[in-house]
Amino acid sequence: MRTFIAFLLALYLVFFAAAAFESFGEPQGLGRIAEHYAAEGFEEVGAINLVTAVVVTYRGLDTLGEVSVLFTAASAVILLLSVFPLGKPANKPSSIVLLTMKVLPGPILLFGGYIIAHGHLTPGGGFPGGAVVASAALLVLLGCTQEVGFAKWLTFAESMAGFSFAMLGFWGLLKLGQFLNNSVLFLGIPGQLLSAGIIPLISAAIGVKVASELSGILVAYRCGGGKE
Amino acid sequence: MNPDFLLGIASVAGVSMIIAAVRAIFVRDLLSAIILVGFVSLTASVLFFLMDAPDVAITEASIGAGISTVIFLWGRSKVREE
Repeated sequence: MRTFIAFLLALYLVFFAAAAFESFGEPQGLGRIAEHYAAEGFEEVGAINLVTAVVVTYRGLDTLGEVSVLFTAASAVILLLSVFPLGKPANKPSSIVLLTMKVLPGPILLFGGYIIAHGHLTPGGGFPGGAVVASAALLVLLGCTQEVGFAKWLTFAESMAGFSFAMLGFWGLLKLGQFLNNSVLFLGIPGQLLSAGIIPLISAAIGVKVASELSGILVAYRCGGGKE
Repeated sequence: MNPDFLLGIASVAGVSMIIAAVRAIFVRDLLSAIILVGFVSLTASVLFFLMDAPDVAITEASIGAGISTVIFLWGRSKVREE
């Protein structure tokens, strides 16, 4: 009964919102900045996928901040788990999980790498690709009962990725006077894999950073804090 | 694709999302609640995909439906031990 009342309330709120935003989804004029992105973005950055172009170059500073927020969250989780360890998993994984963790992580890693590498061409980029790579690491960790080999490389990969993201930004500052200017590298022919300036490099840096941070959290949950 | 068909999928996903979210609050069993929350993320990713945001859909599916569900499950196994 309670559930039914809550459901009706939620449904009412949804219809209320739908009525309030009746014009939602209808084409309307872009704002001035969005107009500039849509009209000039392709010429300026040479990326086919404008979403990644905006996220990585025009709004690249915001993305740098976003990645720092993720870094802070991951450090806090790992710090908490090293003070209050959850301990190691007691039960052994079933044979289904063991078989899955042998077969699936490879294709998932490949897919994640594809999303990261083609961030400037197809939907995706550093953040989604890094999340997909982290879910491959999750599959490996599901079957793990002791320390995993890649755990000690995560911190190194994460700090190198963050460092190279900032350095790519400063490259533009030194060469052209703008932080994260995209034209420091050749723009190339739009549609090719090696094009669109530093967007693929920044995508790769974000991808490595997000993947290593999320996997670091998972490792800390599953295998970390070791001593009991 | 046919817009009516897309609207149908979106309505089914949206309504089942509301039902799952409400059930997740009131259900007694912790495991069912965790799976319902994962289902909410899954329908959210379907809706993101229908709204032409495939990159957000990928992120939601892998983080919301995958990683956070598993983290909740690991937490639940610790709750049961103590």
